[in-house]
This record gives sequence, structure tokens and C-alpha cells, in this order.
Amino acid sequence: MKQFISRLLFLAIITTLPVNAARAQRPAAPETLIRNATVLTVTHGTLQNTDVLMRNGKIAAIGKNLNASANARVIDGTGKYVMPGIIDCHSHSMLDTINEGTLAVTSMVRTEDVLNPTDVDLYRELAGGVTTLNLLHGSANPIGGLNTVVKIKYGRPAGEFLFPGAMPGIKFALGENVKRSSQPNQPGVTRRYPNTRMGVEEVIRDAFTRARDYKRTWDEYREAAKKDKNLIPPRRDLQLEPLVEILEGKRYVHAHCYIASEILMLINLADEFGFKIKTFQHVLEGYKVAKEIAAHGAGASIFADSWAYKIEAYDAIPYNAAIMTRAGVVVSMNSDSDERARRLNIEAAKAMHWGDLTEEQALKLVTLNPAIQLGIQDRVGSIDVGKDADLAIWNGHPFSVYSRVDTTLIDGEVFFDREKDLARRPELAKERAALEQAEPNRPRTQGQSPPTSRRRPSGHEDDDIEIEKP
Amino acid sequence: MIRTLLALIICATPLFAQQIGNPTAQDGVIPPRGFFAIRNAKIVTVSGPDIENGTIVIRDGKIEAVGANVSVPAGAQTIDGSGLSVYPGMIDAGTNMGLVEVPQGASGTVDLSEVGDLNPNAKAIIAVNPHSAHIAVTRVEGITNTLTAPTGGLISGQATLINLLGTSPKEMAVVPQLALVINYPRIGFGGGGFGGFQQQAPQSLAETLTANERQIDQIRKLLRDAEAYGRAQDAYAKDKSLPRPDRNVVLEPLVPYVRGEQPVIFRADREAEIRGALRFADEMKLKPIILGGNDAAKVATLLKEKNVPVILTGIFSLPAREDDAYDALYETAAKLQQAGVRYCISTGDAGAEVRNLAQYAGMAAAFGLSRADAVKAVTLYPAQILNVADRLGSIETGKMANLVITDGDLLEIRTRIRYLLIDGRPVVLSSRHTELNDAFKNRK
Amino acid sequence: MPKVRSRLIVVSALLFLFAGTSYAQRSAIDTYAITNARIVTVSGPVIDRGTVVVRNGLIVAAGANITAPSDARVIDGTGLTVYPGLIDSYTNLALPEAAPSPSPGGAGGGGFFLQTQQQRPAAGPNSTQPVGLQPEVMVEDVIRPGGTEIEASRNVGITTALTSPRSGIWMGQSALINLAGETPQQMIVRSPVAMHVGFTPLRGGGYPGSLLGVFSTLRQMMLDAQRYRDSLQMYERAPRGMRRPETDRSLAALIPVIDGRMPVVMLANSEREIARALDLGAEFKLKLIIAGGREADRVADRLVKQNVPVLLSLNLPKRTTAALPEADPEPLRVLRERVEAQQTAGKLAKAGVRFAFQSGSLTNVSDLMGNARITIENGLQAVDAVRAFTIWPAEILGVQNQLGSIEVGKIANLTVTRGDLFDRNSRVAHVFIDGRQVDIRPPAGGVGPGRNTLSGTWTANVNLGQGDRAITLTLQQEGERLTGSMAGPLGAGEISNGSASNTGEVKFTVSVNVEGQTKEATFTGRLANNEIRGNVAIVGSAPGTFTATRATQPN
Repeated sequence: MKQFISRLLFLAIITTLPVNAARAQRPAAPETLIRNATVLTVTHGTLQNTDVLMRNGKIAAIGKNLNASANARVIDGTGKYVMPGIIDCHSHSMLDTINEGTLAVTSMVRTEDVLNPTDVDLYRELAGGVTTLNLLHGSANPIGGLNTVVKIKYGRPAGEFLFPGAMPGIKFALGENVKRSSQPNQPGVTRRYPNTRMGVEEVIRDAFTRARDYKRTWDEYREAAKKDKNLIPPRRDLQLEPLVEILEGKRYVHAHCYIASEILMLINLADEFGFKIKTFQHVLEGYKVAKEIAAHGAGASIFADSWAYKIEAYDAIPYNAAIMTRAGVVVSMNSDSDERARRLNIEAAKAMHWGDLTEEQALKLVTLNPAIQLGIQDRVGSIDVGKDADLAIWNGHPFSVYSRVDTTLIDGEVFFDREKDLARRPELAKERAALEQAEPNRPRTQGQSPPTSRRRPSGHEDDDIEIEKP
Repeated sequence: MIRTLLALIICATPLFAQQIGNPTAQDGVIPPRGFFAIRNAKIVTVSGPDIENGTIVIRDGKIEAVGANVSVPAGAQTIDGSGLSVYPGMIDAGTNMGLVEVPQGASGTVDLSEVGDLNPNAKAIIAVNPHSAHIAVTRVEGITNTLTAPTGGLISGQATLINLLGTSPKEMAVVPQLALVINYPRIGFGGGGFGGFQQQAPQSLAETLTANERQIDQIRKLLRDAEAYGRAQDAYAKDKSLPRPDRNVVLEPLVPYVRGEQPVIFRADREAEIRGALRFADEMKLKPIILGGNDAAKVATLLKEKNVPVILTGIFSLPAREDDAYDALYETAAKLQQAGVRYCISTGDAGAEVRNLAQYAGMAAAFGLSRADAVKAVTLYPAQILNVADRLGSIETGKMANLVITDGDLLEIRTRIRYLLIDGRPVVLSSRHTELNDAFKNRK
Repeated sequence: MPKVRSRLIVVSALLFLFAGTSYAQRSAIDTYAITNARIVTVSGPVIDRGTVVVRNGLIVAAGANITAPSDARVIDGTGLTVYPGLIDSYTNLALPEAAPSPSPGGAGGGGFFLQTQQQRPAAGPNSTQPVGLQPEVMVEDVIRPGGTEIEASRNVGITTALTSPRSGIWMGQSALINLAGETPQQMIVRSPVAMHVGFTPLRGGGYPGSLLGVFSTLRQMMLDAQRYRDSLQMYERAPRGMRRPETDRSLAALIPVIDGRMPVVMLANSEREIARALDLGAEFKLKLIIAGGREADRVADRLVKQNVPVLLSLNLPKRTTAALPEADPEPLRVLRERVEAQQTAGKLAKAGVRFAFQSGSLTNVSDLMGNARITIENGLQAVDAVRAFTIWPAEILGVQNQLGSIEVGKIANLTVTRGDLFDRNSRVAHVFIDGRQVDIRPPAGGVGPGRNTLSGTWTANVNLGQGDRAITLTLQQEGERLTGSMAGPLGAGEISNGSASNTGEVKFTVSVNVEGQTKEATFTGRLANNEIRGNVAIVGSAPGTFTATRATQPN
């Protein structure tokens, strides 16, 4: 009986607690007004003492002394800085698995199939002002899987993260990772092809040669099928379909690369097959071939100053962003790491320290430029009327090392708020205490040793290493 | 040896064929100490109040005078500090600077961890590569000193405090053997060090605890042996009639540490390991410093009580536990400051990222630390913790002239270093990176 | 659709000729009447006092005013409750022991790991696909009657079970079997019932080697099956002048799936796993069923909208670790999951999601009714709990005209208890399968010779195809009952369904973490020379082996 009562009591506690306190609140207030802030618009300068009005998830107005409806949520922006939500053009957050490494060409796999919307690192990224991620397949193969562009709608089901209208993309990779340089030979096991940068070129060439034929086969079939209804259609090949889309300009190529020679190789190959590389990722030696990258029309998505973590990164310099920007390349700063993603503002600011980019140029590195690289520049990347209300509100200039994010909004909804985060901590402690009392959570006397948290690496994921997710 | 290794790599790796002149070689000559007077500068002394418009005189590698009303002595080369600020050079007390050139795919350039668990005789100063590209890349960002430590095993070896300038380890060394480095064993894992990451997951409770105790016991036994060894050597020195004890290269270096004459750095991040390290240090009467210290705020009371300092390396790490607050590691420094625990801020990096030390301190300041304390956390505090505050860490008369002259706030990203002095020697603000930049920036 | 005919079936058929004779003879005396019992018909109201008559394997009468036929064997049901035979809607019952060592992808894959391979799991002969991607595999071809697992299930009142192939991506096709009968043919109620899909990548270097590739492979094969179907139809219409499509047994097996005629059971527990299955199901318009379903309540609206039922596991998660002050706290997420898993059934019922209970590899199932009781205490109505063991699984598996309720003409599978089914003190009194009474024993526990030879800590090397991984087993034996826990690189968990025979047979189930997914692993081995050697079977994966040696003696 006593047991029964305690159970009842426990149930009462449990049921009064929020099911998942981390879930973001909704529905959004129809209007949100940020009053009297410094607004870094990216496209039309820095506006002092300015209001930003959001309505139905969009930026409705920017100006002084704006009027909002009576039930609008009002955020006092005095002393604060508003910038567009940061866009990370190279992330592996929320992926249950990063690589399909068994084959050299895995264009049939889709990161969208393995999203984990509960990955706590997503929340930590929101707290760094990040709102959009380009989730890329790893770099285990010359042609990797398809990407997914998401807004970090933490607390929602995976389907609600998908960025509507983002250009489909795919991951390519060159150099050490696809050569499996760090993988030891195993007796009796034939190494996966390719083993050299020559073989990498050959693999990509072969894939596009097949894709061309595949497209022809389908074109011929469609033509013939107009007359003959009794034709068996060609086999649909999920590996080649994305490559055909690339040839048709309907899918962006994001190519992981390091050294100058392999960058030129891919440019030449793409030119030969008549497609474009949308972004070179990492592209640490991009500064050596900046004019060729610019001539091809490719963008570059890079680290601010990472270098020397492997041989092909030894010639990396922090002036990379500046040199490529001046050569006319659209450059963005990415994280490739859940850790670094939390401080991309600092990474962007470094381009002013090294290489003398202007504040606006540096801001673009994590806002408008990655938006262009993902084909979402009409939706996000700057503070303009009509764009999505994806904003980060900082307590100081985001390029100051002393600043932090107070609030992050996506589509006008608050997904991170420091005040609320602080206020929630005692509640979570209470919930924990209650849950620990529940029967299935009681420790076993004869049980095994509880797991200890691993020290998490914070350096370069370099998208080839499977990072353990909590 | 190191040169041979590098030469080998250069021959073996076609990539290096692209390598251009490395300025860190400094033409084989260390720049001479100068006689300087920095005038009209804002002087952030760190140890005292800022001097808004002052003068610093530097001679023979030392700060000869500093103040608002110091006159420029005859013969001194003057540096106009108008609009500039002078700071003491930053010190990163938790690096492997000079021991690693390229950590992955070039194991020949890695001199971090010796074979085996107990290597007190592994001395970082032996392997520090003065010509590593990392050194110039780091110092031009205002970091003048690093504590360079070996890693791995249980007793990793001895750390060295170096100036990031010099053509030989000897020229660089400030304190050749400053501290012993122990990876305090993690529960459920092998060592407490970088290697701990690869260790097996915990097994049964009893086994886990036993394995942990066994590792601690290994360390304890070696330290006790060293104690006995030291006693025997001393006794023999006084009384030659005693049997002569054999010299032992493993035990010998441990003697000053087991006697509490020099500090022992315990690498420990989790609360349990920090507490364990403190207990162990008490038991063995060591002089402990905690390196890592992710959970240090949870042990603040004890750390304060024992007066044990912490070298915080995890500010930019992702919090280890899913439920940790997002800013748990950002705000550790502020919490330690508030609790009165001695601490300093470090990148904990092997080399390439050490140049970003200022941003680690800046992040701590964004989350509760005062800006002045953040500067101290990378200058005076590490000097105090490493017991070299008489020479480094602030701008005071008599201290080593490791000075950074900036055009703004030391920790701000946009700030540029305008002049750099290490040991009173003027340092050219170039590095492998500036040279590659110069080589390619105008390529048409 | 051609069925696989192997030599095994021929042998089984011969056995049937002999065994069948005795079965026919005995059935003549298998007329029973259970009188004066409470009858939970499920299809209609509860009859407080009535009679159920069973003849020739079928229910021939049930009601308050039924007289027992004169030739019937009468069982006085005073104080007893008659339920429709309980259905366990997802098991690996009646399957042969898992074959050791996985097959890497591709028949000609070669490679290091192949050398240790002794025997392949059930595989379709002349398949176009590697093991693990063979939808043509049918459980029907490999099931065997008898065995302790089946007996253990019957002992807690299970009369019928869906049994599925153990591993693979396309795992193969399941059968619904009665848990009695001397031949496979006697056991089978319906076959095939459903296609089964697991999401565990192939091991050993073959494609797909990750969850990413698993989804793409499933898609590509379904697309290929569509084309194969269309080609066959076209060829059938007018073969002349058309090149004949190559026979492909694997693709052929998928045609009823992509046509929406055969249901597809997908293994999915977490919210996102279920959402992914729902997405794939919608993409190919599959007749989807979710198995596992621990967080199914979180996607209840989608399940209702897509009309997808759930085979809900009653293997409820429990904390398995000891309290250690130095340890990091468990994540809130995990604490919540354990509590919320107990509420899933109730929430599904409220949301109108169709579901059925399954043991989730708790096949010794002494915990099964206890866990069902926990779901009742956490919001499920008792009447729905009965349905989730009877008519709901019957409906989901398409046998509602044969099983799931006490109605005239249905198969005479009955579970008779003393006390309410979910009462802590109830026990199973009689079990009828196909109209015959089967022997039952009370579940093991507290009985037996009191040996405890297995108690203590064991270090086990487990090989799942990627080299040995050392885990620790902490076992407690009380008679035939085996409890304890596992820890190590495969995850940590309490073992369930543990048993130990006096001949040294050891068996238990535990949740393991494979490829980032939590799976049920069944360890089956034998103790000899202070060493336990045996096989590991993992739902949705290729099997492996283990060897355990004693680490420490118990205090």
C-alpha cells in the first residue's frame, strides 16, 4: 500500500512536468518587434537605434519607431546587436552516421535519411547564433552522399528542420581522406580504389561518363516511348540520377579538397563535363589558385585559421579568406565541427584580423555568402524586408570576443533565449530528482559500472571521423 | 636528429616540395637584445593599474623602468607608442608546442608520448623543435611563452617553459624542467590523458574500480621508490661508508617532485578525477597543479582550501555531458575567479591553435569574467602558477622583457600586434603564414 | 509467386507423413468443454459463467447456456478465466540456432572476415543478392517445432507467435505459428505474413556499410522490383520480339510488397527511427507495420494518419547500472525514456493507434505479464491490454477470422488462467492450441535444485564479425532462472529471459548497441570446463559468437 501511494505520488510529479522541456514553445506570436537595436543588415550597412519587425516568420519592416500590433512580443534591443542567423556551410550535426565509406561513389545515399533532431549540439549551436546548417556527407569517397540544408528547429521533428527550397547538393571529396591515407593496410584485404589523386580523378570521370550515358539512355527511351508504348523503361539508378542533376545544373557540388593541384583537377574535370562546382570545402590552398576558382565561378567554404592538422593542411594560411575574396570568390567560413559551429562569429572576425577584410565582407562570410552557396540567398543571409526572420541578438558586437548571444530566432520564433535557459535549469534539476525516483531508473545493486562521459575531441572532425554522438 | 627527421619528410613527401623559406630558421641567429624605450603608450602592467601614457625602458633583456614619468635614457632606441598598448606577453601553460609539427599522417614529426606508462625521464626540452613553423605562427599573435608538456601513459614526463624564440632549446628554455606531468587515471578508462579517449568502456563496477586503483598504485609505487632513492643518495653523500646506491635515470628526475620542491601537473577533467588527484597529492605530499579542469568549478571549495591551481584547457570544448549547460565550460573561469581558486587559461592545444589563446580568454570574459581578469588569466596567473612570476607575466621593473605592443585590446580579434619583444629581443612579425601570404597574395 | 523449395522441406514433408498419423488419431479424443468459467470472449461481452466447447481444433460453442457434449472431456472452470490464446506479435521462435559469424556483403566479397565464417544464415539459393538483402528468405522454410523457448512462451499463455527471420536488411518473410505441433506444417497458421526490414548495415566492408546506405539500398531494390514487375507483365502480354527479363527471385519477392499486398514490418524504436520508417513507407506506398515502437506515442498522429499499426515491445527498459558516486549522472533523456516507455501503450490506445504487444525477445517471458501490468498502471486500460494480446495482433497480422477472440469457428487457441491475466498472483492453468491441451509448467523462478554455478562475473569475448569485443557479464543463477547484467563496448543492460539448464545450457537476452542502434541480442551457449561458448543472435543483424570465462568468484 505504501508502495502504491509512493507510486501515485511519483506519477503525479511526472505528469506535471513538461514532457520534454527542451522543446521550443509554440505557436509563435504573430508579431515580434526588436526595438532600438544596432542592426547589422549585411546588405545595407549597420543601422543604429533601429527596430526590426517580424510578422508571420518574415522580416516585415526595418526602421525607426515601428509600430507593432498590441499582442506583439517586444524585445528591448537597447545596447544589443542584431545580425542575420549564422549559416554554417559545412556541418555534420544531427547525423546519426556521416559516411557510407564502402564504395568510392555513394551518390545514392542521402543525409536526410539519418537526421537526429534531438542532438544536443544543435542547441549549443543555436546558442552561438547559428540558424542554418548545410549537413554534408563525410569525405570517405570521391563522390559522397547528398546533403541536407536545415534550419535548427531544435525540439521539432526532423521533417520540420528541412530548409524549404534550398538547392539540392552533394558532397565530393579529394585528397587524403578518399585515398584512405590514415587507414592501415590489412592483410588479405584489397585496398579500396582509389589510392592516389590520379585514381580520384579517374573515379569521378568514370562516374560522370556513366551518368552521361544514363541520361542519353533515358532521353532516347522517352523519345521512343512516344511511339512505342510497349517499351521497358531503363533501370532507374539512384547512384547516377544525382549526377545527371549535376550535369543539368540542378544540384550543387560541395567538394572537400585541400591542395592546389586537386582543386585544379576538379575544375578542369567539371569544365570538361560542363558542370559547375558550387563550393570548394576547406580548400586550404585555395589562395594559391584563387583566380582559377574565381574563373570557374566556384565558391569557397573554409576554416578561418586551422592548419597543420595533417600533411595536406600544412600550407594553410589564415589569409585564405582575404586572398580569395579579393580574387572574386564567394567565401564562407564553416565549422565542420559541432564545437566550432558555436563560435563562427569569431571565425568570421578573424578575416579582418588576418587579411584586412572590411566588417561587411567579414559578416558575409557567415551570412550572405553561405546563403548564396546553398541557393537560399533570397530567404536568409541578410536583414532585409521579406526575408525569413532568422536572427541572432547579441549583447555586444558579434565580432567582439566579449559578446554572447541573448536570443536566436528562426522564422520569427525563439529557439534560444539565454534568460529562459538560465531560468529552466532549476526546473530540470527538479525533474531529474523526480525521475531518479522512478522504478525503472533506480540503480541496481549488482549492476555494472555507470558509464563516464568521454572527453570529446574539439578539433577537426575533417568529416572523415565518426564522432560519437551522445 | 630533428633536422634529419624533417629532412627525411621533405624528401619523402612531394607536398613539401612546395614549401618555401621558413622564417623560423632566423638565419640561424637569434636577434640580439636591444636597448629600447617605448614612449607614449598605454601600459597594461597587469600587476598594477594601467598607465594611460607611459614609458617602458628595456635593456639587457629586462624591463629597466616603467611608469608615467620615466625619462628615456640616452642611447635607447625609441618606439613611438602613441595610440598603442603594451601588454606582457601571453603565456599558454598547457601546450605541446614544438613537439608536434603535423599530428596526422606524419608520425615522424610527432614527439609527444613515449612508450610505456611511466616516463618521468621524458623531458620535453630535449625534443622541442625551435624551427617548428608553429613557433613563429604563435608568437606573432602575442604569445611569448608556452609550457610544453609531453603526453600519454600515466607519468608522461617533464614539461618545459620556453620563450617562443631561439635557435636551440637552450636559447628558448626559461625553465628547462618545470613540472612533472601525470595523467590522473580516469575511472573506467586507461589513463587520464589524451590517450584516455581510446580506452575501453567501463566493465563491471568492481573491475572498473580495481583497474583504476591499480593504475594509481603504479604511480604511487614509482613515487615512493623515488623518495627512497633520494634518501639513499643523500645519505650516501653525507656518509660514504654506506653502500653506494646505483644511479637510476627513471627515479632520479622524480626526486625534486616527490619532495614537493617542484610542481606536479595532474591532467584531470572530471570532478572524480580532480578530487582523486587532490587526495593523491595530499597522500604523497606533492605540489599539485590541475591541468584540464573542466569540472573544476564543482571542486572549487576544495581547490581553494588546498590552494591548488588549475590550468583550464576546456573553454572551447563541447561540454562532455548531454545535460551540461551550454555555457558550462565558457563560465568555468568566472566561477573559479569568484570562488578564489587560482587558475589560468590555456588552449590545451598541441601547437597549431595556441595562437588563438586570446579568444579562449575572451570567451571566458563573455561569460562572466572581468576583462582585466581575462588578461591576467593568460599573463600573470600562468606565471604565478608556474612559479615564474618574478620573471614573467606582468610589466614590472626587473622582469624579463616579453612584451606585446598592440593597436587595441589584447584579447579582441581585430587587434593587431605592432611590435613584439621576447627576452628584450625584437622579433620580426613574420611567420610561415605571412610568407606564404606574401608569395601568393598578388598572384594574377 | 514461387516458394523456395529446399531439400529441408522434402525432409520435413517425409516427417509429416509419419507424425501426421499420430496427430490424426489423437485429434479424435480432443474434444473439450471448459465449464463454469469466466469467459473473456474479446469479441463480445465477458461471460461471467459459461462454457467453451472445443472440437477438431476449433471453437464450436461458447456461451452461458452451453451444455458440454457427452463425448467431451470436461474441465471444471470454476474460478478460472478463459481468454483467447495470447499472440506474441514478434518473435524468433522456432528458428534454428543463429548461425555464427556474419557474411560480409556480396557473395564474392572475399576478405579477411570470411575466413572465419562457418555457416551462412538462412539464404535463398541462387539469389541475386548478398545475405542480408534477400527478401525471398522465408521463415517457413526453416522453422522447427519444439524447444525450450516455445515451451517457455506457452507457459505464460502464449499460443501463437509471429516468427521472423533474425537478421538482415531485407530480413525475409515471417510466418504466424501456433506454438504446438510436431511438424512445421502443423504449426503454421499463415505464411508468409509480412516482409521484415531491419536497418542494420552489412558488416565486413560490403555495401551498404552504414545506415545511409541501408536506406538507399532499400529504395533501389524497390525501384528495381517495380521495373521487374512491369517487365514481366509486358513480357507476359507479348513475349514475341521482346528480350525475356532475367529471373530474379529477390525482386520477385518484393513485388507483393511494392504492390501493397504484403505488409512490411520495420524495426524501429525511437521517434526518429519510426519517422524514417513512416517516410519510406509513404514514399513507396507500403503497407507498413512498426515493430518495437518504444517512442511510437510521439508520432501517434502520423501513425493514425498513415494507418500504420505497431507491434509494441514489452521489453521495457530499466536502469542496469549500479550507483557510483564518482559516476556521471545519466542523461535526463535516458531517465525520461525509461519512464515514458511504460506509458507508450496507454498513449497509443488513447490516440487510436492500432497496436499489439510483443515480447521483444523476452521469450522466457516470465516478465511479460508483469510488464503488461506496468503498462496498465501507466494508463492502458486492462481491456485494451487483453486486446493487444489477442484480437489486435490478429487483425494486424490478417488472421482476425481465425484467431484473437472466442467465437465459434475460430481456431481453438485458449489461455485459461486462475485469476485475472494481469493480476500479480494469477497463473496460467491451461493452454489449448489447435484444440489440444498442451502441458504447461509454472515459469521458472525460486524452484529448481538451487544451484548457482553460473553466478559471478564473466568476461565474454563477443565476435560480431569485426573482431573480438570484451564485455562483462554479471550473472546470478537461482535454479533455472538466470538474471544479471552486461557491460562493455556493446552497451550496458540488464539481461532478461535468462535460463540455465542442469545440462549446462545457458540462454539470455540483452539489449546491445550495434551501429548506433539498440538491438536485442540473444546469447545461447553451453557451460563446459568453466567456460561458456555459444552464439549471439541479434534481431536485424547477422549473428555472431561468444566465449565467456570467469572473471571473479562471487563474494
